Amino acid sequence: MRTSVIPFGPQHPVLPEPLQLKLTVEDEVITEAVPALGYVHRGLEALAQNRDFHQMVQVTERVCGICSVLHAICYCQGLEDIMGITVPPRARYLRVIWGELLRLHSHLLWMGLFADSFGFESLFMQLWKIRERVLDIQEATTGNRVISGTIRVGGVSRDMDARQVHWIADQLTWVAHQVRQIEPVLREDFTIRRRTEGKGVLTSAQARELGAVGPVLRASGIAQDIRQTGYAAYGELDFEPVTATAGDCHARCMVRLGEIDQSIDLIHQALDRLPGGDIRSEVRGRPQGETLMRVEQPRGEVVYYIRADGGKTLSRVRIRTPTFANIPVLVKLLPGIFLSDVPVVVLSIDPCVSCLER
Amino acid sequence: MFKMTPQILRNLISGPATRAYPRQIRPPFPATRGRLVNDIAQCNFCGACAVKCPSVCIEVDRHLSRWSFAPHICVCCGVCVEICPRHCLRQEPATGPPAAQKEMVALDAKS
Amino acid sequence: MNHALIILGIGLVAGPLLGGLAGGLDRIVTARLQARTGPPVWQPYYDVIKLMAKELVVVNGWQAFCVYSYLFASMLALILFVMQSDLLLILFTQALGAVFLAMGALASTSPYSQVGAHRELLQILTYEPLLFLVGVGIFLETGSFKISVVMQWKDPLILKLPLLFAALGYVMIIKLRKSPFDLAASHHAHQELVRGVFTDFSGPLLGMIEIGHWYDTVLILGICSLFWATGPVPMAALAAAAYATIILIDNAAARLNWRWMLGHVWAMGLALALVNLICRHQG
Ligand code: SF4
Ligand code: SF4
Repeated sequence: MRTSVIPFGPQHPVLPEPLQLKLTVEDEVITEAVPALGYVHRGLEALAQNRDFHQMVQVTERVCGICSVLHAICYCQGLEDIMGITVPPRARYLRVIWGELLRLHSHLLWMGLFADSFGFESLFMQLWKIRERVLDIQEATTGNRVISGTIRVGGVSRDMDARQVHWIADQLTWVAHQVRQIEPVLREDFTIRRRTEGKGVLTSAQARELGAVGPVLRASGIAQDIRQTGYAAYGELDFEPVTATAGDCHARCMVRLGEIDQSIDLIHQALDRLPGGDIRSEVRGRPQGETLMRVEQPRGEVVYYIRADGGKTLSRVRIRTPTFANIPVLVKLLPGIFLSDVPVVVLSIDPCVSCLER
Repeated sequence: MFKMTPQILRNLISGPATRAYPRQIRPPFPATRGRLVNDIAQCNFCGACAVKCPSVCIEVDRHLSRWSFAPHICVCCGVCVEICPRHCLRQEPATGPPAAQKEMVALDAKS
Repeated sequence: MNHALIILGIGLVAGPLLGGLAGGLDRIVTARLQARTGPPVWQPYYDVIKLMAKELVVVNGWQAFCVYSYLFASMLALILFVMQSDLLLILFTQALGAVFLAMGALASTSPYSQVGAHRELLQILTYEPLLFLVGVGIFLETGSFKISVVMQWKDPLILKLPLLFAALGYVMIIKLRKSPFDLAASHHAHQELVRGVFTDFSGPLLGMIEIGHWYDTVLILGICSLFWATGPVPMAALAAAAYATIILIDNAAARLNWRWMLGHVWAMGLALALVNLICRHQG
């Protein structure tokens, strides 16, 4: 038996995230995995003390580029809750549209990286080609490819006209068509199933115990999606959480594939029912009080705790990101698998280390 | 394996989906928020943009009537454009060219 | 004497010329299959020239020795092939080169190289029996291991040995480091082992390994082309068709793990080869 320690990260080509896993390997079987974190801590929570509460919106957007809109939505909802602001219906729908576009591109990005983790480069390229179109929609409507910067306390800062609504619907039809073409590959391809099925199995009891969130939780058969609480305009739209029962890497991929379809459907619904009216209500005074706000991100549930003491700046912003909740799952899943399956299992929880460390 | 084959063959026939970037540039979307420009003749140096900017990249000196701006620190969020009372700020639909050094823009009122 | 020198020259030049060209075409075709434009066809040469211009850093003397030996063995194998010598000799020479490469990786202590070399050895273990059976099949058909005899053969061997040719396909995928069997070192370093066996080679040494790989590519395509050795055109066509198919498979499959490779390639490859040989011998 040959035991060696393989450092997986923080600079590793297959995992474009500054996360280090110290893998103890015996003949290509992992016996222990120890995560080492803290490479990209930026102190964004501490910035709350010297940026005013409007400026914090831009800061929270930068907690994570991929989930930018949803961080901002969560933060703004928290402040709106503290200050008792009602958001105009049109703004709520626009938030849903941008939030779902974000989920769409995040899941396509993840699927590409996942394909790359088991060495399927052409699938990676194919998925990123589709994602590029989603980014184009984001840029044309919000003004930026990734960090959209349109969410404000009290509403949103940009509107869409009828022409844009049509254009988005057209583009999404193309995206849906492309995704439908690629779907059988992800679902049935022999080599992919060989690499993902039965790998990193998480039972629903374990998922509950370890506090898994997002697609990882849903792939273990627990239908829990924070969007069901009906924040923004989700209460007025029809959707069901996507679940799978196997709890392995393939099931996680299938859940995300289902959510891509679901997001496209939700955007179509929101575009159809987009109400007229204002997009921003006025924000007066200074916040005082505290709140806990939850939003469903592509990677799972994000929790914001905000506390304001009536000053221009907030006293505390605490962010619990979905990856933080899924790291225990990862540490549980790694021992006992083969070294060649490590990238697949690590990517299956969709780690976002920039989120994790803020 | 056979599920992917039609996909890649279709790619082969339909040609690359990428652009030969420096030679072929996609025109920017009109809504894109790029580099910030100030029509300094309209500016009254109130300093509102400097106060609200989340990345603290604008500095306004009322006495010198000078508006200075650090384009490489700007995050193109558009907050300053929204709050400027004189509507003299505007964002071009493209970011500036890459540069080897951080640049500073200082505009003085033409008196 | 003069004739032999010319052949030697052809062997030496053919490797980098055809191998590099094949590599460049591979990159363009792969890019097109992935809806990209891809690099210019000369890109492999640019890469190697750049590598050669870098500072020479070696982990230890063994590593450098192994790389030189690998390059030499690969060159020798191709030259022997061009000289139409004994097939068995060629196969053993190239196996020697492959083992030297794995030993070079083992010379450093990095776990990535170690595991990569381990896998490389497993890959050699997987494809060598098949390659040997291919030689045996050609021998049983033509009565000689000499390539010069095979070249005189009038009928295309592929018609008689189709299953053996399929088994050779496995060998080619492994040898050319293509999915689903690019286990020891994937082309673009996006795997759990970074670049597997190549992780600890850099600069000119890596450039030499690239050149050695060109020789290997030409050799394996050459062996493949023996299956239709009725003239230069069918030989080239068969090699090109096989290469194109392998690129297609590379782009339509994920990377599998070595346990599966060992079981599957041995079971399928040996079965294909043996069935073919037994059928031919009975009939
Ligand atoms: S807010 Fe407008 S008017 Fe005021 S200083 Fe800035 S650019 Fe000038
Ligand atoms: S766009 Fe945003 S970051 Fe840039 S100057 Fe204006 S407020 Fe500051």
